Parts: sequence; C-alpha cells; structure tokens
Amino acid sequence: MSTMTLDASARTEAAQAELLGVESVAHSAEVRKTVGRPFIEIAKLRMRDVNVCYGEIQAIHSVSLDIGCNEVVAMIGPSGCGKSTFLRCLNRMNDTIEGCRVEGELSLDGEPIYGPKVDVVPLRARVGMVFQKPNPFPKSIYENVAYGPKIHGIASRRAELDEIVENSLHRAGLWNEVKDRLNKPGTGLSGGQQQRLCIARAIAVSPEVILMDEPCSALDPIATARIEELIDELRANYTIAIVTHSMQQAARVSQRTAYFHLGHLVEVNDTETVFTNPEHELTEAYITGRFG
Amino acid sequence: MTDLTQAQVRERIAKRLASRHRKEKLFRGLGIASIAFGVLAVVILFSDIISKGSGAFMQTAIQLQVHYDAQVLGIDTVDDESLAWANFSGVIRQALRERFPSATGRSAKRELYSLVSSGAPFTLRDRLADNPKLLGGSETVWLAADDDVDTFVKSLKGSEAGFRGRTSDQKAGWIEQLLGSGELKKRFNTTFFTNGDSREPEQAGIRAALMGSLFTLLVTLTLSFPIGVAAAIYLEEYAPKNRWTDLIEVNINNLAAVPSIVFGLLGLAIFINFFELPRSAPLVGGLVLTLMTLPTIIISSRAALKAVPPSIREAAMGMGASRMQVVFHHVLPLAMPGMLTGAIIGMAQALGETAPLLMIGMVAFIVDVPGGITDPATVLPVQIFLWADSPERAFVERTSAAIMVLLSVLIVMNTCAVLLRKKLERRW
Amino acid sequence: MEMHFDQHISRQFNEDLEGIKTEMLEMGGMVARQVADAVDALSNADSQLAEKVLRIEDEIDRSEMALDEHATLIIAKRQPAASDLRMVMSVTRIARDLERIGDEACKVAKMAIALTDEGTSPRGYTEIRHIANAVRRMLNDALDAYTRFDVASALRTLAEDEQVDMDYRTAVRELVTYMMEDPRSISRVINVLWTLRSLERIGDHAKNICEQVVYLVEGADIRHGHEKNLRKP
Repeated sequence: MSTMTLDASARTEAAQAELLGVESVAHSAEVRKTVGRPFIEIAKLRMRDVNVCYGEIQAIHSVSLDIGCNEVVAMIGPSGCGKSTFLRCLNRMNDTIEGCRVEGELSLDGEPIYGPKVDVVPLRARVGMVFQKPNPFPKSIYENVAYGPKIHGIASRRAELDEIVENSLHRAGLWNEVKDRLNKPGTGLSGGQQQRLCIARAIAVSPEVILMDEPCSALDPIATARIEELIDELRANYTIAIVTHSMQQAARVSQRTAYFHLGHLVEVNDTETVFTNPEHELTEAYITGRFG
Repeated sequence: MTDLTQAQVRERIAKRLASRHRKEKLFRGLGIASIAFGVLAVVILFSDIISKGSGAFMQTAIQLQVHYDAQVLGIDTVDDESLAWANFSGVIRQALRERFPSATGRSAKRELYSLVSSGAPFTLRDRLADNPKLLGGSETVWLAADDDVDTFVKSLKGSEAGFRGRTSDQKAGWIEQLLGSGELKKRFNTTFFTNGDSREPEQAGIRAALMGSLFTLLVTLTLSFPIGVAAAIYLEEYAPKNRWTDLIEVNINNLAAVPSIVFGLLGLAIFINFFELPRSAPLVGGLVLTLMTLPTIIISSRAALKAVPPSIREAAMGMGASRMQVVFHHVLPLAMPGMLTGAIIGMAQALGETAPLLMIGMVAFIVDVPGGITDPATVLPVQIFLWADSPERAFVERTSAAIMVLLSVLIVMNTCAVLLRKKLERRW
Repeated sequence: MEMHFDQHISRQFNEDLEGIKTEMLEMGGMVARQVADAVDALSNADSQLAEKVLRIEDEIDRSEMALDEHATLIIAKRQPAASDLRMVMSVTRIARDLERIGDEACKVAKMAIALTDEGTSPRGYTEIRHIANAVRRMLNDALDAYTRFDVASALRTLAEDEQVDMDYRTAVRELVTYMMEDPRSISRVINVLWTLRSLERIGDHAKNICEQVVYLVEGADIRHGHEKNLRKP
C-alpha cells in the first residue's frame, strides 16, 4: 500500500499514466472494481451492473450502487465522468435522448425502473428531479407548485390543492417569502428562490426520491447555503441523490459520496472517509485538486 | 517566436489603429448607404403609387335635374319587371338636353350624352326602386361622369389645358361650364369600394377582389395553420431522428423554394381536373395557396418550437407530464407567438400571390361580389394585374388604388401579427 | 498509498504545501540541534552552551507561530482535502510537539546550568546519557520518517519509546534508592530526576511525531493506543 520511493520522476510518470486514465482505465482491474461501500442492507434504489451507451459511446461502465432511505448520496467526479447520466437513469430522463441505451438492473423498492411494462409517468411522480439551472414554468408561483398535483390528479378539491401548495412551499422554506405573491410569475423570483420553487414543485407530488443535478451551480453562496440547509432538512422524509461539482458541498450535505471517473464508479464511501482518507488514488487525486 | 517588449507591441497596435478605424467607418458608411437606398426605393414606390392612385378615391359627378317621366320611361307602375325594362337612359338624355339646349345635331347630342357614365341609368333605377313615389316627379341627382370626363377634369390644373384624349372642344366647353356653375364636382368614390370589376372604369370597384382574397385567405388559414403546426409538432417533438424524417425535412425545405406557378399547375391537375372542384373558386385558390404556404408555416413553427428552452421541457417531463402534456401545457404556449408570426408571414405571401391563381382560372372577369368560397371570384393581385392590362386611362389610377388597398391589407395583417405576438409573448 | 504534494493543478498550492513542510522540517532541525546541545551542555558541564540553548527558544516559538499562521491560511484559501488536509493538520500538530520538545530542552539546559553550579557528580549521568541518546535518535528518526513519508520507519521509532520509558523507570528507581542511601544528595538528584523526566517527555513527543507520520500517510489515528485503526495492507 504505502510504496515509499524517493525516485520522484518515476513516481510522477506512474501517477500521470494513472491520472490521465487512458491506459489505466482501459485495462486496470483496480478501476473497474468499485472500492468502498457501494452496497447497504436496506436499499431504496438498487442499481446493479448499469451500462449506458449513447450510440457507440459507452458513458457508464457497469456501475453498481445502492441508495438507502433518508440518505443523501453525493456523486462527484470530473466533467463528463457520467455522474449526471447515471442520475438521469434513475427517473428515466435519459429516455428522451436519441440513441441512449440503458442496460442493467435498476429498481426502486424492488420494482424495476426499466422494462416494457413500466410507465414512466408514475415513476417520475415517485422520483422527482431538480435541475442545474432553476427552470420554473413561465407561470405563477402557485401554478408552478400546483402543476404536478394537477396532472397526476392528486388533489380533488381546490382547498386540498391550496394546502398541498402551501405545505410544499413551507417545506422548501419559501412560503414566507412568496405567500403574498402566489399569483406573480415564478420567473420573477431570484435565482435561489427559483431553485427552491423548483424543489417545492418537485416535492408537491410527494416523491420518495429526489434527484438533484448540480442544484446550486447557478447560485450565489448564500442561496447555496439555503439549499444545502434545505437538503439536510428534506433528508428526514426523502431519499436524495445529488450530483455536484463542489466537493465542499458534497462534504457538507451527503452521508455517502460516490466518485465517478470516466464512466466508472471508482469509490463509494462514507463522506467523512472520502474527504479525509479516500481509499482510491483517483478519488484522492480528484478531491485534492490534482487533476480536473 | 520573437519576444516583443510591451512598448513595441503598443507601437505595432498604434500603427494598425488608423487603418482599423478607417475600415470601421467605411463599413458603417456602407451600411447607412444601403439602408438609405432601401428607404429611397420605398419612398419612390409609395409616392408613385399614391400620387397615381389617390385620384381613384375621388370620382367626378354631374348634377342633373331629372324628371322621372312615366312616358319617357315607358312604364306605368314601379315593380321589378317594369324597372328592368324602363328607359332610364332616355330620362338622362332628356335632362342633359334640357341643361344644354344648344346641342343640336346627332354628333353633338352623342357628345352630350357621353358626359354621363353608362352606369348612370342604374343609379336612377335604384333610386326609383327605393322610392316609387318619385315616378312622375323630379329631383336633383349627382350622376357619375364618364371616365373620359373624369380623366379630363382630374388633369385640369389651374389655367393649363387638361388631358383631352377623346374629349372634343365642344365637350370641354360644357364641362368647364358645369364646373363653373358647381354642377360638376369630384366626390368620394364609394363605387370603388362597393362594386365588382367592370369594363367601365368609373363603375369598376375592388369589392369582388377584396372578398375573393378574404375567402381565399380564410380557406388557406383554416387549412394551413392547423396542418402546419401539427406537422411541426410531430416533426419536432415526436418523430425519431432517422433517414425518413431527414428526407421529409429536406423535402419541406425544397417545397418552400418551388416556384409558385408549379403549385398552380398542381392545383389545376388535382383539384379541378381530378376532384372536379369549381373553377375560379376561392376554395380551390385557398387549397393551392395552402400547399404553397405550408412549408413556410412548418419551417417557422419548427423554429419557434426549437426556440423553447429545453429546460422547460425537462422540468415538465421531470414532473411526470406525458409528452402531450409537455407540448400542450408548456411548449405550445411559448412557441405560439413565433408560430403566429410565421403563419401571418405565410398569409401575407399568399395574399400577394398571383401566378398559381392564374392557373386555376381566378383570372376571369368577375363582376359579381362572391358570397361564398365556391362562387367564382378573383383576388386583389389578379385584379391589379387585370386593370394594369386595360387600355382605358382611368384604369391607371385604379390600378394604383388597388395596390394601395392591397398594401394596407398587408400592413393591417402585419400589425395584427405584431400585436398578437406582443400579447402572447412571455418571458422566461 | 504514495504521497506527493507537487501535482496539484494550482502551482501555488504545491508551493504552499511544500512551504509549510519545509518550514516544519527546518524547525525540527533546530529543535533536534537544541536537544543535542542541551544534552552536551549537561554532560560537559558547559554552561555557555546551555545559555545558547535558552536563547534559541525564542526563535522556535516564532517558527511555531509562523507555521500555524501559514497552515491557517492554506485551510482558509484552499480548503484542503484528504492527504492535503492531513498534511496541514499533521504539520500543525508536529509543530506543537516540536515546540514542547524545545521547552523540555530548555529545562534540560537550565538543569545543566544548575548542576554545573553545584559541582559535578557522576551519579545519574550515565542514565541521562543513555536516555538522551535514545530520545535524540528517536527525534531524528521521527523527522526522517516524516521527510520520507516512511510509515514502517515511523512505527519502528514509535516502538522505541517503550524502551525509553522502561529505562526511565529503572533510572528513577535507582536514583530513589540512592537518595534513601544518601539524603544529602537529595536536592541534586532531584535535579537529575527532572532532567530525566524532560528527556522522557521528549521521547513521548517524538513518538507523537511518528504517530502523525502514520496519520499523514495512512489516514489512521493511532494515538492513545488505537493502533488497530491502522488498516493492514
């Protein structure tokens, strides 16, 4: 494990070959096997040997991972490592992309996510999503939150709908800021408020899992802090998978962190372990800023 | 690579600076020149059309004291049948003879009678039909002057001699006499807006052509907008990207570039010869123009759909909306302004189209105002084409007036498009 | 796991980390010299050398403060993670140990001055020399292990502390017996005892440094008898 050598040049060469990942990923068994703790006893989401291809290009190589209840799992890795692609498999947002094929076993509470008989509409009601750029509908704040319950027919009466909207905004920590202007357009809010509106919209249909694809990358530090606080609160009721480019954010909000590298899941470990003493060299190199 | 000091670099930049500024100015000058050229062209076009056409909105009329003499008319009672037979020309001739007793002899009388439009008897007939009590009585009426008189009067300016044409000295004398006594005046030309086409310029109007255009456009809009939008939505939102959809896309783009007369030939072959739809009808015209505008609408609608940010689609999809819900709840409302703009541009194109309509017989001489989409009709541009071809000098100003009407319809349509877009546009 | 702190994308970060490591090792060198001088002053009854040891103390304190400040700056600016974080943490901890070693060396130097004033006596000096050699070696080995990120060497050095402790207890017993035999020598022997005590403390601090080497390289905290935290390869 600890190879102590003073031969700096040899060391650097070896490390670079490893870090560049061209040679090593192709035939290094070390990379193919995920180190750490990818599996847990009671899994909410269970993924086994997931492969994703865009046409001829394989974006995800045999990824296996469990995500448990009331757990925040952060996915980190350099750009193009496949973390967003993987996240989008979980509620089949990849379906819309031309030529995208997903193989492997993915299940939510033991029920398959992919399959000829699976309807994506109820699936997406169970697995909500928050996107990188705040994308409220160009409608009123109320309409934004009420949209999901409306299309799924969750609320039977207007009063019930009002209640859902209020509760969702409360839980997203936005109620006090918008209660007087529910009929104003959602696009008129600030970036951070818009993102919380999107979170409120997602939780209005009472999902079980919330997927977040770099939810704070377009926000300032204060808005980011609010969202992170919110994520921590939401953990009590939801399972959350978050993709982030900010390692500090992953460290702050998640319980486990998964490191993706060139489509491989390199390491999954408790967040504390990953950020103080990662098992895999690639993880170490990434989180200490040795390559990007 | 040689290392330059900062001073050297600055020096080199300064050297090039003057020529850069010069080029900048030159380019700006070119831009201004081209805009000026465009503006000049528009000004010339409009001033020419307006100066030529504005006269058509006025029509010379002659005031005559007419006596509805039952004997001259040759009728006893006023009913449809007798009115059809009645000799109103005689009444007018009598009135003219009374006004100018000096005119004797056949040729002088013929000259005299030609002061008044050949359509004047119909004016009298209508008046009598409206008010049968006038039979046997008399009244003072303004009757449309003949087009030669009209042209002559309009060309009179101050002391200069006007355009005589076929007008004899004697006739000119009468006209000046009438003008002097105020019995000959230029009045607003309502006929131009209420009548159909006619061989006589003073009786010719654009109503028929306007209605024909309206019906044709109605057919075109009701067919091409829904079909175009549906096709665009399918191609943009549903269709898989493969060789077939690529082929369809290429073909749609090619169709937009096909000369319009080809669509006319197609319409003739299919709608008239095969389906045996009526010739010269706005229905067929609308169908042909639909074929022609569809590519425009599809292309612009697709562009409008493409312009909707994908984040909105993702958001809706992420909420579990079905594809149709995504399209109808989110994408379409955002794309609507763009689609409408495209549709109106297509409609404006269709409004100005002549060639394909010539092929399906809408070039016929249609006097009656069409009442429906299957009645024979003509359209504004074809009417302009027909009038421009007519020998009478009075048609020159009518041609320009018709162009003005066509242009104002276009401007109204474009304004509607702008207003609609303003109203529907939403920021995101 | 290999340790290399010269491959960050940010060159400045590389330099910062190298900088605190170098500073710390320089401080270590200074402290090691101080310990050696103190022991020499004692065994050679050289009060001038002992004075020099005392003078150097200020410099060491300043080094510790500078090192702390640099480490704080790195944390604030770079938010180091994993091995970088362990590097910064270990450097600050080792700096504190080194400063304490410096303090102990000063105490030894003061004893050297006191013992020189009282006149020399061979009693207890053999033990002092023996233990002093052991802890000096330990300190040098510990710093050496840190320089080379050598866990094996650190673990070896770590084990030596037990021998030092045992020697210390033996010496204490011996000196107590001596005091009982000759009560007149009590005050002087107590000075010797204090010196031994300081040397033993230096050994403990050297052991702490070795533990930081293990923490830096392996990420395992083996302090206070938690050797099992060390993952076996």
